[in-house]
Order: sequence, then C-alpha cells, then structure tokens
Amino acid sequence: MPLRHTAASFNASGSPDLVLALLADARLPVGGHTQSAGVEPAMAQGLTSAEVPAFVAGRLRTVVAVEAGTAVVARHHVLAGADLRPVRLAWAARTPSGPLRTASENLGRGYLRLAGRLWPHPVWATFERTPPRPLVLGAIAAIAGLDAARLVRLCGHEDVATVSAAVLKLDPLDPLVTTGWVLAAHPLVEELVTRCASLTDPGEIPATSAPLVEQLSVQHSHAKQRLFHA
Amino acid sequence: MPETTRPHDADHHRGTRALRLGIAGPVGTGKSSVIALLCRELRDTYRLGVITNDIYTDEDARFLRSEGVLAPERIRAVETGACPHTAIRDDVTANLLAVEDLEHDFDPLDVVLVESGGDNLTATFSPALVDAQIFVLDVAGGGDVARKGGPGIGRADLLVVNKTDLAPYVGVDVERMRADALAAREGRPVIALSRTDRASVDALTAWLGGVVAAFRSGAHSPVDPGPMAPHFHADGTVHSHA
Repeated sequence: MPLRHTAASFNASGSPDLVLALLADARLPVGGHTQSAGVEPAMAQGLTSAEVPAFVAGRLRTVVAVEAGTAVVARHHVLAGADLRPVRLAWAARTPSGPLRTASENLGRGYLRLAGRLWPHPVWATFERTPPRPLVLGAIAAIAGLDAARLVRLCGHEDVATVSAAVLKLDPLDPLVTTGWVLAAHPLVEELVTRCASLTDPGEIPATSAPLVEQLSVQHSHAKQRLFHA
Repeated sequence: MPETTRPHDADHHRGTRALRLGIAGPVGTGKSSVIALLCRELRDTYRLGVITNDIYTDEDARFLRSEGVLAPERIRAVETGACPHTAIRDDVTANLLAVEDLEHDFDPLDVVLVESGGDNLTATFSPALVDAQIFVLDVAGGGDVARKGGPGIGRADLLVVNKTDLAPYVGVDVERMRADALAAREGRPVIALSRTDRASVDALTAWLGGVVAAFRSGAHSPVDPGPMAPHFHADGTVHSHA
C-alpha cells in the first residue's frame, strides 16, 4: 500500500474554501444520499425529532471525533509520504461495528472514484479497493490543498447535514428546522477543530466510540425495511 | 488505480465486463416481473446478476429471490435513501459499486440487470451506470401514457408496454397504445408484452440478444435518454429543459 512520494508533488492551487464547498455539497456524487449517519436506526428505536440536536451533539463528541481525527492524521501521513496502514488500523480499532465499517468503506470507494478523476495523483494507486472514508478524505485534503482545520469542519458539517437531511425523509418536519440544527451545531464543530486539527499520530486519534450508535447500526443491518444503508 | 469505471470507453469494457441493462418505469408497471421473466428465459444462455433499488430496500430483491429464477446471492438490493431517481441518475455511486461487486464476486457475468426503484415518467438511467435501458409501462396505467412521452418513453433503448393480457379488462386498445409509443419514439423499438404471449416474450429475449451481441462487438454505444424533451407550449414557443 505505501507509495512514497515527496511533499513537493503537492502543488494544490486555488481556493481551499471552494474545495471545502465542493466537498461539503450534498450533491457530491459519492453515494452520500444512501446514508443517514445513524439517525434512521436511532429513530426506529424511538429517538424523536426533538431529540435529534442532542443526538447530533453526541455524535460530534464520539464517532465524528474518530472520523475527523482519522482524516486529519491520514492527511498528515499523505503529506509526509508515510504508510497509511497504521491510520487504517487505528480507525478500525475505534469503529467496532461491522456495518459502520462497511458503510464507511462504501463511501470511501465513492470518494476514491471521485478523487481519482478530479485530482489525478499517484497516491490513489496506493489505495486498497475499499478504503474507509476518512482515509480518502484525508488524502483529498492533502492533494487538493485543504488544511486540517477545514478538513475537520468538513467531517463535522457533513455528519450533521447528513443526519438533518435524513430526518426529513423519516419524519414530517419543516426543512428550515433541520437546517437550523446544522447552524446550531457550529460551535460543537469548532470544538472538534480544536480537539482534532493538530493530530499527527494514529495513536492520538480519539478513541470515542458510541456503544449505542454501534449497536443500533448492527440491528439496522438486519432490518427488513429501511430507507438508508446505515 | 482506483476503480474508475468508464462506460463510454468501448475499448475499456469490450469483452471485460458484463452488459449493464437498466429497467426503469413507474411503480407497479411490472419492472420486477420483467426481470423475473428475463432471468427465467435467459439463465441458461447468459450468466446473470441483478441489482434492485427499492424505496424500502429489499422488497423487490426478496420477490425475485422467491421467484427462484436466479441463485439468491446473485440478487442484491441497494438502499437509495428514499431517492430512487438520484440513485440512477444524479449520483450513481451506490449502484455502480454494487454492480462492480457483483461482477467481481461472480466473474465473469454476461448481463447485470439494474432495477430502478419505481419512480415517475421522467426517471431514466445515467449512461455512467448502464449501457442500455428498458422503460416499462403497462396497459393498466392508461392508454394515453405512451402518447404523453418523456425521456424514458421517447428515448430508452426499448419501451415495453406490459400486461397486454389485461387490456380487455381496463378498456385499453393495445395496438393504439403501441402505435402512439412508436410515434413518440420515432421508430425506436416497442414491445407489447405479456407473460402469457409467447411471441412477445420471444421478441423481448431476441432484443436483448441483439444488444448483448452489439455490446460484445464494441458496436453498442450507450444513449442517454436525457432530460425532458424540447416541447411546445400553447403560446407557440418551443423550448427544452436541458
């Protein structure tokens, strides 16, 4: 898997804000619309719409910290020309649910398809067939010139926005309400930036799984009726 | 390299992967039963796989498995997050990965059938996902539907008018509907199909045989039915929504 390349091979040009906007767009063709970020299984077990902001806050402090931390460390490793395998293992150790690992790997394949076409680079040839999403996101950030703080914001925003969009398919609700949730989560996303943006070592990635989220994801994978993959 | 699939590149896929055939059309017109029919008729001719997109996940996959027309593991369901139209057109990622996995796990396959979750008359497959597509209507949906047109009716590789055996009960003139469809399609093929009408079933399998042969020879090019066709308004203006 490791292909060494020099930091000089990264000569991203253009605006990191526009790259962030592109990657954060829900219309990005990477299969994101098939995911609910855990909210469908949670609502199936009784979570109400009113409780979703608390659910979002819980995710940002746990599973999203794993995601963002992994992405930041992956970015650092790609920039340094270092082997990504330890990063992947650290992510897997912090993601005990098989269905959640599969969901991340499916999304990772989607992002890999996109990245190989949009940002051609030798690093993609070093990736396995089903890399988890944060590994690919970290590499995209390295290649496209997204700094670590913006990368964490992307992970945080993406999770909140995914939950909010999915709730609209599951419960009758005004879309302005769910968009308000995304805005209200901004301070928590900035907390995540403080927590994760400077990480460089796989051992530093937050080991904060959320047992209920993990357990519900396993139940969901056996559900007979579901709109979302996970 | 990552698995960047390039369906447009004939040299890339010639002889190396299955023909990907999409089945689209409104809810209840018989997409699943057309797939079951194709599997039953062709499972000894071609190595087949099926991907279904259901609103509520695996209803169609379970129907097909229960029909016993194909080994259950060759039929897979993909969730679409309540967006069946998106999953076949705007963001085909989930379906494309499922097709690639099926081709990978059962290599070699000859044809992978991708069933769209039932949507409306405007939903058609992106050429990034399928090489050819069938649009399915049925007589019970009304004799005037074919005349109304739309990208699937107008420009899918094949239009199937299904359940012709029901025509006497719903007061639809099949020949008239077929003629309307042919007119809307400017001569592209139309098959008036019934499971109980052997000649129509033979016409369907013969059509698919022709597409497979063209695909294998590299002569087949995916055609995108595209967005809504240019159309007239009462004030005499003509425009398209492209």
